[in-house]
Amino acid sequence: MTMKVSDISPSGFDEMYLSNDEARPHYATFCDWLSRQPADVLSRKQREAELLFHRVGITFNVYGEAHGTERLIPFDSLPRMIPAQDWADLERGIHQRVRALNLFLHDIYHEQAIIKAGLIPAEQVFCNAHYQPCMQGVDLPNQVYAQISGVDLIRDGRGDWYVLEDNLRTPSGVSYMIENRRMMMRLFPDLFTRHAVAPVDHYPSLLLETLQQATLASSPRVVLLTPGRFNSAYFEHAFLAQQMGIELVEGADLFVKDGFVFMRTTAGPQRVDVIYRRIDDDYLDPLAFNPDSMLGVPGLMSVYRAGNVMLANAIGTGVADDKSIYPYVPEMVRFYLDEEPVLKNVPTFQCRKPRELQHVLANLGELVVKEVHGAGGYGMLVGPASTREEIESFRQRIKDNPDNYIAQPTLSLSTCPIFVEGGIAPRHIDLRPFVLTGREIHIVPGGLTRVAMKEGSLVVNSSQGGGTKDTWVLEAPSC
Amino acid sequence: MLSRTASELYWLSRYLERAENTARMLDVAWNMSLIPRSTQTTEEIAAPLTITGSREAYDAQFDSLNMGDVLYFFTFNDKYSGSIYNCLKLARENAHAVRGKITMEMWESINAAWLEMKAMASEGFAGIGVSEFFEWVKNCSHLFRGATYGTVMRSDAFRFLRIGTFIERADNTARILDVRHQIRDRAGDVAVDYYRWNALLRSVGAFEAYREMYADSISAENIAELLIFRAEVPRSLRSCVETICDLLTQVEGDSGINVKRIAAVQNARLQYGDMAHVLEIGLHAYLEDFLRRINEVGEMIRAEYLEVT
Amino acid sequence: MRLTIEHHTHYQYSEQVARSTQYLRLTPRPSVRQHIVRWDLDMPEAAAQTTDAFGNILHVLTLDKPHDEIRIRAHGVVEINPDQPVAAGNGLSPLVYQRFTRFTRPDQALLDFATGFERPRSSDDLAALSAAIIERIPYTAGETDATSTAAQAFTGGKGVCQDHTHVLLSVCRQLGLPARYVSGYLYTEDSSHVASHAWAEVWMNDHWYTVDVTNQSLKPDQHLRLAVGMDYLDACPVRGVRYGGGPEQLHTFALVERVETGEQ
Repeated sequence: MTMKVSDISPSGFDEMYLSNDEARPHYATFCDWLSRQPADVLSRKQREAELLFHRVGITFNVYGEAHGTERLIPFDSLPRMIPAQDWADLERGIHQRVRALNLFLHDIYHEQAIIKAGLIPAEQVFCNAHYQPCMQGVDLPNQVYAQISGVDLIRDGRGDWYVLEDNLRTPSGVSYMIENRRMMMRLFPDLFTRHAVAPVDHYPSLLLETLQQATLASSPRVVLLTPGRFNSAYFEHAFLAQQMGIELVEGADLFVKDGFVFMRTTAGPQRVDVIYRRIDDDYLDPLAFNPDSMLGVPGLMSVYRAGNVMLANAIGTGVADDKSIYPYVPEMVRFYLDEEPVLKNVPTFQCRKPRELQHVLANLGELVVKEVHGAGGYGMLVGPASTREEIESFRQRIKDNPDNYIAQPTLSLSTCPIFVEGGIAPRHIDLRPFVLTGREIHIVPGGLTRVAMKEGSLVVNSSQGGGTKDTWVLEAPSC
Repeated sequence: MLSRTASELYWLSRYLERAENTARMLDVAWNMSLIPRSTQTTEEIAAPLTITGSREAYDAQFDSLNMGDVLYFFTFNDKYSGSIYNCLKLARENAHAVRGKITMEMWESINAAWLEMKAMASEGFAGIGVSEFFEWVKNCSHLFRGATYGTVMRSDAFRFLRIGTFIERADNTARILDVRHQIRDRAGDVAVDYYRWNALLRSVGAFEAYREMYADSISAENIAELLIFRAEVPRSLRSCVETICDLLTQVEGDSGINVKRIAAVQNARLQYGDMAHVLEIGLHAYLEDFLRRINEVGEMIRAEYLEVT
Repeated sequence: MRLTIEHHTHYQYSEQVARSTQYLRLTPRPSVRQHIVRWDLDMPEAAAQTTDAFGNILHVLTLDKPHDEIRIRAHGVVEINPDQPVAAGNGLSPLVYQRFTRFTRPDQALLDFATGFERPRSSDDLAALSAAIIERIPYTAGETDATSTAAQAFTGGKGVCQDHTHVLLSVCRQLGLPARYVSGYLYTEDSSHVASHAWAEVWMNDHWYTVDVTNQSLKPDQHLRLAVGMDYLDACPVRGVRYGGGPEQLHTFALVERVETGEQ
């Protein structure tokens, strides 16, 4: 083929190539295939993919832009592959981590054993804005708090895996995982005959099962609650509701009466048993939380606390995925499961601790600093990529409110080639596997690979121009 | 079905039907404007504004009345809520809100229509011929309807889509008939009348039906009968109301007893009505009364099925 | 001490309200300190009863037919035993009450004010803090409303029991002490006083200390607790959401009288 691979990130770990001329073993079949493709085929397929995504309207609404602004999330047609054995290890680690996080949530809303044992300071939990007093003493079926979670994984320069963060509130992106796979099968059917790619298409049916298991009610009615069509993830809400065959509702479609939740239908009110809510805690019930919110359902919390409706995820899961709690997750695994953590945490400095603050302030240029409650790649400082002024202004913000920040060493995320004008070039990526917890834990093989589309960039968030790739877990060595 | 979903589907099809009706009406007005000048009157040019009750909105936007501005007003204009541009925009927004309830084919057809509309609007009639544009609008509507008939499940989603179409269509047919009759009452030139009736029939797609059903030359009374009472004509008032009645009885559940009743009453009035009765009370009075009744049906559908807050 | 309570709440709307939902915290929770002899809540429709995050008794009233007024009457007889301690709560960690809320988040002026104090260690410290607050914000009706924050009342220098309580909560939380909002009734000999009242409880030395800034009192011997929470929004007697209705008028009336033991 005429395409030339530009420099494979010299210092980092590349998923596809060992060196400029040698592919990693699990990519051998693919690279061989790639080298035999006529030059214009890939670019034609890439254009076809964009056209198709646009036509079916797989778009993403961008915050801060005018209503109705819809953008396509860039899709790259070179798959990210994970060998079966690597995946088996990851799966074990994710499984373990999510189990521990659910046990932690149950514990802090009940006996608080981990606090009494002195492993996590009480203020870290109870003074955290995401700890919800209304969950104290509330019993949930199977003691599951996060039915749906996403665990963000990255690899450092040596290829070692780390957990970057846990997402236990309303993790999004799973629709892209499914649509990316459908797109790849449409564009490159022959590749799927050459590789044993573990399927992901059954995710919606697993999700429905998980949601049904969130309640003790028999033949429960499940609905998906969306903030509405201007929400950035609306496409996903509509997609999942349709795939599961459940109603996509907005707050105004639901109401509380006589201790239950009902939805307004053309045939009169109908009772709702489980709400897969894609609205943050604070907006769910204007009578219990933010009184200005019109997105939620007045009175919902009273029904939830009485056990007459179930929410997935539960209220108050944010306390467990908060960056200030993140450093304690390995400790949770040991405490609740009596196991050693399979997955590593990124070493984290807590600025609330004077000694660690000192270290952070002395090394700002090399560190990544994040707000403890921030999300979406906002409110962070990437030291090596920042100007002197940016660093100094951030220094002041940290000093003013050290409790609000944590810092981590800058990890060079692994790279994977993407298709660019005239060839392929490496870009940084991460991985978000999706975990479903009902009576059992299910993890669909792979997940969503997010790509920083700009050369050298480490920001993979779709709200900031990140793209996606299809993620292939190879079930057996490729033939 | 969720009341909100039913409401979005209902309005989706109403807006799309409105876009098609507007295109039909303007296509005729445009063709009328091409026949010799002596036959043109201010009233003729203003007819689309009169029919849609939008004269005030037009005057707020334009200084004088001329065919070019009227065409623009109803087509690429983003300021008038009833323009084809805005109808397609709203139809697509409603479709977006219920994309989980419609099929991929339906969504793709309406989404593609809107994307093309946006692209065309920047150039206006410099980029596309007038008749060509109206053909395109009708095709979009046909394509969506075809996709709906061919792919969507026969559930309440299908029913509320259709109910929206027929409420809008009944309203439109009654308005066109009313306004065209009023123009005739004041004109009276036989040759021009021929063009007008011809135009009216074509605007509601009933020219062929007329030819087949009436051997006579075109007459006002026959046209009124055709568009009010003939069940064979898909845009006649009777045909619309009959379909609405049918659909209402098929909607799941026991709601809507009041709207079912008044729709059935209106259906009987058309089924057992005749031209003698219409002429006795006068066509204008008859149509005004019909418009009031069909809008009452629309209002009750909203109250009994669609209301969310 | 035995008290009778008569409390009327009347909302009138200028237009029809399509539907509304109210959270009512109008039923006192029984405890060793307050024995509920009898209590009734009269409402336009039956309401589901439950408890909220802070252990308060909550009624959820949904009206889904159009209405242009809501009348609620709470009335009952309660025996107060002032010597008994304030109930600890429902297993919720007191640390929760150290968090700032929309009503208690300090601005620069409140931050500066708080730096003038050490973290209170005794009743005397609390009394001093309470005295400093009433000096800055003398009791003045009509200058603030139910939506005023601690920072706004502090800047304005005038306020009522709700404002006094919010300012105290804000300062205590800044000083590292959990403190909570209490709404309830106050008995006074002089019936011209407002019987609906708000005060604070501060967590110190593993106990809840009552601080009534408005009355400069640390003894809750004439106080009947209705509800507690992180601020006014959590504890207020009526909190509702309505669709339609236009501007509203609210009339409330509360009367607390002492029943002489002989009158039983």
